[in-house]
Parts: sequence; structure tokens; C-alpha cells
Amino acid sequence: MHADPGPSRGAHDHDVIVAARNLSKTYRDFWGRSKKVALKPLDLEIRRGEIFGLLGPNGSGKTTTMKLLLGLIFPTSGEALVFGRDATDVSKNERIGYLPEETYLYKFLDAEETLDFYGRLFDMPPEERKRRADALIAMVGLARDKKRQLREYSKGMTRRIGIAQALINDPELVLLDEPTSGLDPIGTREMKDLIIDLKKRGKTVIMSSHLLADVEDVCDRIAVLHQGELKELGRVEDLLRVTDVTQIRARGLPAAAVDELRAVLQRHGGADIEIGNPTTTLEELFLEVVRDTEARPGRRARQAEKN
Amino acid sequence: MVLEEEIPKFTAWIGPALVSWLFVAGLVTVFAAALAWLVQSALYGPLAAGDRVYRGVLGTLADLAGMSPRRIWALARLAVQESLRRNVLVVLGLFAVIVLFAGWFLDPASVNPGKLYLGFILSATNLLVCLVVLVLSVFSLPADIKAKAIQTVTTKPVRTGEIVLGRMLGFALVGTVLLALMGAVGWAFVVRSVRHEHELLADDVLEIRAEDGSISGFEGRMNLARGHRHRVELGPDGTGRTDTVQGHRHTVRAVETATGRAYEVGPTEGLLEARKPLRGTLRFLDRQGKPSTKGISVGAEWSYRQYIEGGSLAAAIWTFDGVTEREFPDGLPLEMIVRVFRTYKGEIEKGIAGSVRVRNPASGLQCDPIYFTAKEFTIDSLLIPRQLAATTTDGGTRQVDLFGDIVTDGRVEVVLQCLEPAQYYGVAQADFYLRRGSGSFVMNYAKSCLGIWFSMLIVTALGVMFSTFLAGPVALLAALSVVLVGQFREFIQRLFESQVTGDSKIVPGGGPIESLYRIVTQTSITLDLDPSPAVTAMKALDTVLLAPMRLGAALFPSLSALGTSDFLAGGFDIPWDLLGAHAMETLGYLVAFFIVGAVCLKAREVAA
Repeated sequence: MHADPGPSRGAHDHDVIVAARNLSKTYRDFWGRSKKVALKPLDLEIRRGEIFGLLGPNGSGKTTTMKLLLGLIFPTSGEALVFGRDATDVSKNERIGYLPEETYLYKFLDAEETLDFYGRLFDMPPEERKRRADALIAMVGLARDKKRQLREYSKGMTRRIGIAQALINDPELVLLDEPTSGLDPIGTREMKDLIIDLKKRGKTVIMSSHLLADVEDVCDRIAVLHQGELKELGRVEDLLRVTDVTQIRARGLPAAAVDELRAVLQRHGGADIEIGNPTTTLEELFLEVVRDTEARPGRRARQAEKN
Repeated sequence: MVLEEEIPKFTAWIGPALVSWLFVAGLVTVFAAALAWLVQSALYGPLAAGDRVYRGVLGTLADLAGMSPRRIWALARLAVQESLRRNVLVVLGLFAVIVLFAGWFLDPASVNPGKLYLGFILSATNLLVCLVVLVLSVFSLPADIKAKAIQTVTTKPVRTGEIVLGRMLGFALVGTVLLALMGAVGWAFVVRSVRHEHELLADDVLEIRAEDGSISGFEGRMNLARGHRHRVELGPDGTGRTDTVQGHRHTVRAVETATGRAYEVGPTEGLLEARKPLRGTLRFLDRQGKPSTKGISVGAEWSYRQYIEGGSLAAAIWTFDGVTEREFPDGLPLEMIVRVFRTYKGEIEKGIAGSVRVRNPASGLQCDPIYFTAKEFTIDSLLIPRQLAATTTDGGTRQVDLFGDIVTDGRVEVVLQCLEPAQYYGVAQADFYLRRGSGSFVMNYAKSCLGIWFSMLIVTALGVMFSTFLAGPVALLAALSVVLVGQFREFIQRLFESQVTGDSKIVPGGGPIESLYRIVTQTSITLDLDPSPAVTAMKALDTVLLAPMRLGAALFPSLSALGTSDFLAGGFDIPWDLLGAHAMETLGYLVAFFIVGAVCLKAREVAA
């Protein structure tokens, strides 16, 4: 396990938004016998303004950690502090937004009613509820479907109203459990852009995911969990950096220059030298195709034509 | 109407009731905290358990203090929306079908159709409303927990108390609307069903002539309507009243028309009424005329009514307090229900003769007997006039004034005697009363619906409370069990007393195991079982089984005790004192169920 000082060394304690101290969870049966150790003792600090990723395979303890931080379940030992208060203290929820793994909303309500309902739970006055609901519905692109019951929504639309309800109170801390689950590539991109936007607005985001690319794209720091145990903790770039490999990127080099470079690298003892054209990600390719198609309806995408 | 216990004044009742509630609530709280500590100790050790219980109690108090009306209302609205989504209004269709069947199958020619119709409609309304809110309330929260929608609620600044109270409020609102609609339909149905008109034709009226040949009055019979007809006796001016049939009568007035004399028959009187009684206290004299604590038992198992022997000095004496000339300027309007026990058939069509006297409780001065014939199953009325005849000690008669000579300090005694030897009158304290007037029937009907409303509120709170820690079907069973134990709480209390004291006369037959044994072996409940180690063990096991039931009987609400439909159906005004007591009792249970529900939900991991 890595010792991690956090994103900003020397930060004051009030910058610590979330702290887990020796936090563990064991599920028990009716008779109190241990059934499953879901989380082994965990120490963690998450500071203001960072995007923190909980990474791990299914059953690794990501959701359990998140539920403990939300006070949805109680720790077997240790403590979870959010904004310096015990996680079971509901007053902390004033400053929290939560998107569960599946969007568990009331399907007999429409989008407006849903946001109005959750706005009421924050004791918001009617005008503010209306203003926030309208803005969020527009932000997640559901303006045309706001009068439809959620039971008629597709999974992506449900996910979007889910994120809207998580942001109804303009929270300081947003917890997103598998935020891109069930979204198409465009929705995934929008979700990731939204997460980055939240960070820009000074919010702290904790997200759990087993989709490595998503975490890598947006997270400042990550904790890797496996079988309920913290295996890695640190900044994404630090953890991913391969220190004994050097990467060189340049645009517009002629073939001769490439050969020259290769020769230089060989002369200095470089091994396993690879020089070639980098590939983009499939996500980037897909988004390019969609953008191009929307700009030029009825035509094949340029990228496809090139190939 | 049966009234086994006197209705206490609300102001006198509330103090002891509040003390009792606080005592029980304190006891239950201590017991629950101890139990929670024991369970937590087994898991985390005694010190950590103490800390957890302490923090739990503090957290609950903080939660209760931080509740917001807006959040509660939001959750209540959600419960209403959920109920509508579950097509709860379908129950109104079911009610309509029940009303239709009632219209077809209830007998309008019964002894008291008003009582029959009111009893049926109110029972159906009570059952349907309570059943609907029970089903809604027990399944709602477990469904939310199962569907995990609760996670998006509890991660907002929502207190568990708000979740519980919001649901209680929401389902209570649904129940209230259903009750209001069913109540309105039921009222219209009852009023329409009992309303009827008779016709009195001039040809059916005969003149009654005095010895001097002058017309002293008229008598006749009306036509048949709704399975009955009335006899009518009119004065010389052609006005009068019919006899009482099916609990009502009509006024009749003669009118002269171009074609001759005709009779106008008024609407029903006494059918849908709200009598306001001034009740007295009852004591008895035995056949020798000596004071007795009770009358004679004629062998009926239920000893509500005591009997006095006819043709003897046995008497039933009511003492009325607060009788004033201002309230009763025309005399005492005595109304009475007298049951008859015949030791020989006699003339069955003819009632059993009896007498009533009013007596000064201080001086013993009493008027001469006023004779009447007991009309079983109906309320008989008798106006005791201001001027009464009294026999003097020398055998003469003198006139006495009711308020001048008989009523003293607002107190008066009414003495009932049965005049026919070997026949008996059966009476209870509530059977004789002075009629103070009438309340509005509509208001009385609304009061009765209020009784149903109290039951509905308790059932809702009970269902929500159980749903905070039990799955839907189990919560339903638990709530039904509580209602059932509450319904039989007096029986269970007596059964337990019988079991502990070993006195099988209190409740014969024993506890559940002994009862089962008696059923299997076909042993009568009146036979004591031969002592043996097996019987001793069986009785000991019964005591153990009955103990929690006895505890439940002491704690659980009795919905039937909250009902006031007997008053309405019997034609009596529902006293505000009783309604006030019921309201406070309901509030006591609501507060208790709410707190238990909030604590249980807080202690529960809703996402586990």
C-alpha cells in the first residue's frame, strides 16, 4: 500500500472533505455471525476540489466505501467523517450530491416532479426549486421530455435525471457510483466533461468505477481496491508513470529525422525502441464520427472516407 | 344501546391517562434501550455497545428536533402519489358494489332498519378504509428499500422521523379522502333507504265517540310502506301521532280540502336521531325491598342486564343528578329500554305491565305509579308531568309538584317495578335516561366517521411502524396480529388472570395448549382437568405463552373500543367527552408508533 500525502501538501485540515479512519465493514447474518468482509480497515483522506476515483473490480468494496461515507450503512469499526462530521449525521447531506450505481428514482414521477421532490427534501423554497430544476433539466438535455414519467425513460435518460437530482442542491461534494454505467459513448463523454466541469467550479468529486479509461481520464487521485482492501493510492499520473521508459512525441517530422532519432536512441543504449504514428482512442474516433455526421447529415464521416 | 362503562368527563380523564401514558412510554423506552445494549454488546462488547446506544439516542433526539415541515410534506405527497399510482381509488368502486348489495339484501322491514343500515354501512366503511391504508402503509417502505429508491432519499438531509411521519401523513390523507367519500355516499344511502311515506286515507279513519255522542277523537291504520304500517290515534281536531313501529313514528294532521277531509302524514321521527341523554346511576332492591348490589341473573352468560322480579318489592332505582326546571320545564322526558324475561309465555302479543315512580331521594316522597307496558327492542318514552298525584300516609291523594316536592338539589330518583308475578324486567344503567333534547344527526354521523378516522390513523401508523424493520408481508401479519390482540384485549387480560390465579371461573377452558387439548379430547371447558404432572406442565406452558399476549393486550390499541357506531345506530348523540378521550388515545398511539418507527429506521442499514 502506498502512503499518500494528498494533492496539496501542507493543506489545512479544513481542506479535508472526507476522511476514513480504520474504516471497515463486515456484513453479518441474522445471528450476528460474520458473513462477508466487505471492507478491510481503510485510511483515506480526500481534499477539497479534487476528483477522487475508487477503482476496483466488482465486489472490491468500492460501493461499500461509498455507502459508508454516505451513512447508508454503518461501519463495523473505525469511522467515516464527511465535512468533519460522522457519516451518519444527516446534516452533512445538505452539502452532498449522490448518484447511485443504478438510478433509483420514483418512476411514477416525471423529471420536473422528481427534481421538485428532491428540492423539497433540501427545504428549498418554491422559486429556487423551480429555477434549479429548469436549469438542471436544460443542462442534462431533458427539456423536451420533462413531462414524461421516468418509467418511459431510456437508461441514458434515467442516468441524466439521476445526475440532475444529485446536483439539485449545488453540492460541494458529489459522490458518483459508476457514473458512466449504462451510457453510450456520447453520454459517457458528456458525463466526464460534467465531472471535470464540477471540479472547475470548485466541487469535490468522488467516483467509483471499474472502467479504467473513465477513471484515468478524469481523476486526480485514485484508490485501487481489491477484495475489500486498499492496494494503491495516489495521483493518477504518478501511479501510471513508467519511470524507465521515455516517450517522445512530435508532429511533422520527416522520415530522415525519425531514422536519425532512432540512431541516437540506439547509440545511448535505448532498448525496445518504438517509433511510429500514435493511434487515437476508439472513444475519440466515435465522437469524431458522430460530430461529423451531425455537421453533414446524409454523408459518410470524413474519418471513414479517409480509410 | 349497550354502555358497559360510564363515560368519564374528559377533564377528569385526561390527567390520569397522561400519567399512565408517560409511565408506559418510559418503561418501554428503558426496556428497549436495555435490549438494544444487550444485542450490541454481543456484537461489539459492552463499552462500544453503550457508546452506540448513547449516540443512537442522541442522534434520534437531534433528528426529531431537526424535522422540517416542507420535507415531511414532500414525503407525504410522494406517499399520496404512490397510492394513486397503485390505483387506490379502485376501492371506491368496491364500496359502490357493497352499497348496491346492501340495497338489495338488507331487509327494510327489519325491527330497526336505521340501525341495520347504519351498522352495515359504517362497518363496511371502517373495514375497507382500514384495510386499504394498512396494505398501502406496510408495503410502501419495504418496496422503496427493495427498489433502493430510499437511498436517494436518505442521502438528502432527511431525518428518519420525516420519512416515517411523511408516510403516515400521506397514507392518512389518502384514507381521509376515501373515508370522506365513502362517508358521504353511505350517509346518502342510509337516508334514502330509510326515508318513506305513508298515506292515511279518510276512509281508513274511524271516529271515536264519547258517551255523550260527541267526537272524542279518531283512529285508523295507514297503508303499508317499507314492510310496515302504523296505527294512528288522533285528537278531536284531527292531529296526533302514529304508534312506534320499526323505531319510528309520524305526525298526522287533518286538512280540509274541496273534496272533504284529508290527512297529511309527516316524515319519520325517531329513526335517524341523536338523542342527548342525562344518565343516572342504578341500584337495586331485592324481592323483600332490601338494597341489593345487583339484580337477579336469569342465566344469560353476559351479565350486562340485571333482572327484577315482578309482583314483588324488587325494584330498579335510578338516581339522576343535575335535573333542573330550566332544562326540563314541561316535566321529565323519560326514555327507557326494558327487556323482559318471561317464566311463562302468557299473552305473547301483550307486553308485561310495569310501573314507574319518581321519588325524592332525601325525603322519600314519591308520586303514585305511572303504569306502562314494556315494549321490547324499542325505546319507550314517557313524559313525567310537572303535576303528579301522591298518596298521603292517611290513604288520601294530594298533588305534588315535580320540581317543588320531588326534585331536591337537582337530584331525583326513578323507581321501576315489574307488576306481573313470575315475570322479570331486565335493565342496565344506560337503559333509563332523561332526554335532554336532540343533536344533529348529520353531526352525529360525522362524529361516528371521526371514530373510524381514529382507527384508520392508528392502522396507518402501525403499518408504517412495522414496515420500518420488517418486510411487507411480515409487517402486514404483525400489524394484523396487533389489531387482533387489541380486539380481544379484555378477554386476554381475564384469561391471563384466570391462568395465574388458577380460578377457572374467570375464563373457563384455559390457555392455548389446554384449549387445544380440550378440543382434541372433546373435553368440556367447564370440567376441571384431573391434576397430573402433564396438566401442570401444560398450564405452566400456557402461562408462558399468555404472558407476551397479556403484555400486548395492555399495550396494543383496541380499534373496536374507538368505534362509536353503536351510539349512532342506537340513535344516541356521541358525547364529546368520549370523542375527546378517543382523540387523545389515538394521539398517544400515533406518537408512540411514530417514535418507534423513527428509531427502528434510524437503526437500520437501508442499503445493506
